[in-house]
Amino acid sequence: MVNLTIDDKKVTVPKDATIYDAAKSAGIRIPILCHDKKLHPFGGCRMCLVEVEQMKGRLIPACTTPVTEGMIVKTTTPEIINARKLVLELLLLKHPVDCPVCDAAGDCDLQNLTYEYKVNTNQFTDEKFNHKIDYENPLIERDMNRCIHCGKCARICDEIVSFGAYTFINRGIEAKMGTEFDGPLNCEFCGSCVSVCPVGALVSRPFKFKARWWSLNKVKSVCSYCGTGCQLTLGVKGNKVLTTVYDENQGFHNGQLCTRGRFGYQFVNSDKRLSTPLVRKNGRLEPATWDEALAAVAEGLKSAGSDAVAGLVSPRLTNEELYLARKLFKDVLGSNNLDHSAGYAHSALSHGAMESLGFAASPSTVTDIQKSDLLLVVKTDAYETHPVLGFEINLGVKRKGVDLRVISDKKGKLSRLPKAKTYVYKPGNEILLVNALAKVIVDNNLTDPSAMGVAGLEEYNKSLEGYSPAQAAEVCGIAAEEIIGLATDYAKADKALILLPLGLGYPGHDKALAQALINLALVAGKIGKEGSGVLIMGEKNNSQGAVDMGVYPAGNGKGATDIIASCAAGATKALYVVGENPVVSYPNRKKVADALDKVGFLVVQDLFLTETAEKAHVVLPACSFAEKDGTFTSVGRMVQRVRKAIKPIGASRSDFDILNELSSRLGGASFADSSQVFVEIAREVAGYNGLTYDKLGDEGALVPVAVKGRFVPVAASPVKAEAGKYALVTGSALYHCGTMSRFGQGPMHVCPEGYAEFSREDAAVLKIQDNDLVKLTSAGAEINLKAKVNMRMPKGVVFAPYHFGEESINNITDGSPVTWVAVSK
Amino acid sequence: MSNAPAEELQTQEIDLTAANQVIDKFLTLPGNLMPVLQGIQEEYGYVPKPTIDLVAERLNVYPSQIYGVLTFYAQFHLKPRGKFIIRVCVGTACHVQGAERIVETFFDKLHIGHAETTPDLRFTFEKVACLGACGMAPLAMVNDDTFGKMTVQKVEEIVADYGQRPMK
Repeated sequence: MVNLTIDDKKVTVPKDATIYDAAKSAGIRIPILCHDKKLHPFGGCRMCLVEVEQMKGRLIPACTTPVTEGMIVKTTTPEIINARKLVLELLLLKHPVDCPVCDAAGDCDLQNLTYEYKVNTNQFTDEKFNHKIDYENPLIERDMNRCIHCGKCARICDEIVSFGAYTFINRGIEAKMGTEFDGPLNCEFCGSCVSVCPVGALVSRPFKFKARWWSLNKVKSVCSYCGTGCQLTLGVKGNKVLTTVYDENQGFHNGQLCTRGRFGYQFVNSDKRLSTPLVRKNGRLEPATWDEALAAVAEGLKSAGSDAVAGLVSPRLTNEELYLARKLFKDVLGSNNLDHSAGYAHSALSHGAMESLGFAASPSTVTDIQKSDLLLVVKTDAYETHPVLGFEINLGVKRKGVDLRVISDKKGKLSRLPKAKTYVYKPGNEILLVNALAKVIVDNNLTDPSAMGVAGLEEYNKSLEGYSPAQAAEVCGIAAEEIIGLATDYAKADKALILLPLGLGYPGHDKALAQALINLALVAGKIGKEGSGVLIMGEKNNSQGAVDMGVYPAGNGKGATDIIASCAAGATKALYVVGENPVVSYPNRKKVADALDKVGFLVVQDLFLTETAEKAHVVLPACSFAEKDGTFTSVGRMVQRVRKAIKPIGASRSDFDILNELSSRLGGASFADSSQVFVEIAREVAGYNGLTYDKLGDEGALVPVAVKGRFVPVAASPVKAEAGKYALVTGSALYHCGTMSRFGQGPMHVCPEGYAEFSREDAAVLKIQDNDLVKLTSAGAEINLKAKVNMRMPKGVVFAPYHFGEESINNITDGSPVTWVAVSK
Repeated sequence: MSNAPAEELQTQEIDLTAANQVIDKFLTLPGNLMPVLQGIQEEYGYVPKPTIDLVAERLNVYPSQIYGVLTFYAQFHLKPRGKFIIRVCVGTACHVQGAERIVETFFDKLHIGHAETTPDLRFTFEKVACLGACGMAPLAMVNDDTFGKMTVQKVEEIVADYGQRPMK
């Protein structure tokens, strides 16, 4: 620790602190423009100049100068104030000062500092810049005339996002922030640059001219897309969510968001939202009153009888709603036929982790990523499914020197990180590869002493016969030495963390794969330590909560696949679908659609008239996350508060209200509000004990787990390639999450439709180029998608995202990890 | 003034073999971006766009950053350059000796402006701050040939002389 004096105040700080950090910790504010706590110090703007007794003769930038023992610092002398005024005058010389039409007004560091330092005259005169404004993309407007060259956009894009869209181009007075060849912005559109821009040089186009910043009501909540659990602040006015407001102090991610979090909120106020209940009359869905609709639903569910009623409930709901849904089915309808996410997208948690670790959650948390020494990521898609966890990986690799290893069926953005190693295996063989890694550890006496006490080790060791590196090498297409090297590095790393993304697009990421990975972590002694373990990344905002609330079949209950099958067979007579869109997101569209056509009574409760809702007998309009109170539980088991920002749109009602009223109509319990349900959750659900809304606060609370690991051997056989066909693997597109992001303006502008990615080699053989329409055929069904040709795909492998309703990929997939398709132009 | 033919040439297919060889040579050298870009410019006479994408991919550097480096240093050129680079000094000594008239005359004769290239890729014209031979002001250079005490008459002679030299 170092002692120094700032403005006559004694301060003690760690020796790696800067003067700026030290002042901040003592509650002394030093003005900044180019500094950001998340980024490396830059020292470009000279706003933070201070006086240091020991360094007299010049002013010292506080943000880049490390503290030294006995330093005496003054932060506001007349000389300093004059220097800062000069900096502002020079910036205002070129800045257009068009505050009346600038969206940053009110939230602009330059405006605020100009006001604070009373810079109302300028001793200089000069012409303004005349840079062309970049209106080429629909999300981020770049007006470089307003830019003050703080470089934050370039630094955040490099240091955290690792995309590198911006750089300083040209030199001297002509220097500006620009892109490659000074062209239009063409990036991931996460908007990180917009969030850190201290002025209005980068503004959000969807929010442009929508409201003055100070007139927004700012409501803290949690993002409702993926499972990362990013906290966000909604900017609300006139019962409309108009934007997301950046708050650098929110969450583990310091307010960072991805494109869907930042630009995907428009589904909330979408004019496509259902505004009234619909009941099918004479074959058509007609508007109805709530009373009529709910009476029909109560009657329909009850008359089907407990064996013939089933539910598919989305993990996008709050914990309170999921708990109510479970209670409605179990206690009121007497049915265990309740599931979500097609069954497989949660089985890694609900069954895999449950059997292998004794609880249905990840043993690790999100903050372990940066604390690890080695990350073993299953598929580069971890970036696409959970982009902000991807930022954590970027930071870990680039700042903390974390060794990144990716086992994947294709390359991806993660493969490009410094020193990252990607082991590309032939699609579908991940379990076999994982078993081979474990085999290396066992055979080379790298088994951790802690594994000796874990149940089932002997049996597990035996089960690894037949997974030698040589055998795996042949099947996976990775050299045996590489497999041995990876296993050895993993075993020898002091702290190593495995990341496994889940999702409806990843049928292979199921119970078996999770267990194979947990076995690997157990045998290497990696579970139960900080910075180590396995992080199972549930797809949706409350995937972990859905598992915690028990929204999956118990006892003799039917899972999602069985529910669909029994609808087709006529055994299930009433199906209640809440927020799920099986027609588009479950495998085998035709089978699902036929089953839903057959079921006697189909209720769909959703924000939109989805492909599934179109088949319903009753459609109930539900509310988005912005219209309700409750909690979500994120990937890292963090329970966080969702807060009501606006009143329900139209006549829609929250899932809580609907489930609650149905329960009481059917003679079950009813609750006053979600907090009352949370009280019961805190009493009934393991890990949630003792939690209250007050205790969660803004930070949230971590659900504790106690590991009781055991080895569960998992067998794998090589995936057989079909001659002349291509291996189709599905997954998530970076800009989308589930099927809801189709109603977000941002995601749809950047990625409006499905596509199929091909390797350059395959494209050359098939004679296809970017945007050519290609036909994928499998098992008699076909779809037409636009082609994308790139370097990341290996030869013989095709990737397609699953989110889209038109030409949906589930027309040709059946729930197996790899679908063999014929491709033609 | 338009450089259209030069830009057309830029969009033509570029043979990346030479660029790949340059990258191979420096691949393991730490801080290899500058020597790679210099090597590429030596091979092609300028840094063609496809080579930037290639360097970005092979060295794992953002294309934007490469563009930043290329636009920061005056030594790099992003457009094809003429066979003959005419440089006229407009530094203090040359300026007082009437360098501006020399410059204007070159503009008239070549129909191009500062830092531009003739459509036939024969001439590139540049005003420079000082060529370090103020005693010979006003001064011009064509590639490595120096011409002191420049006059309007000499400009015509230079353009006529280099205008008929072989391009290969």
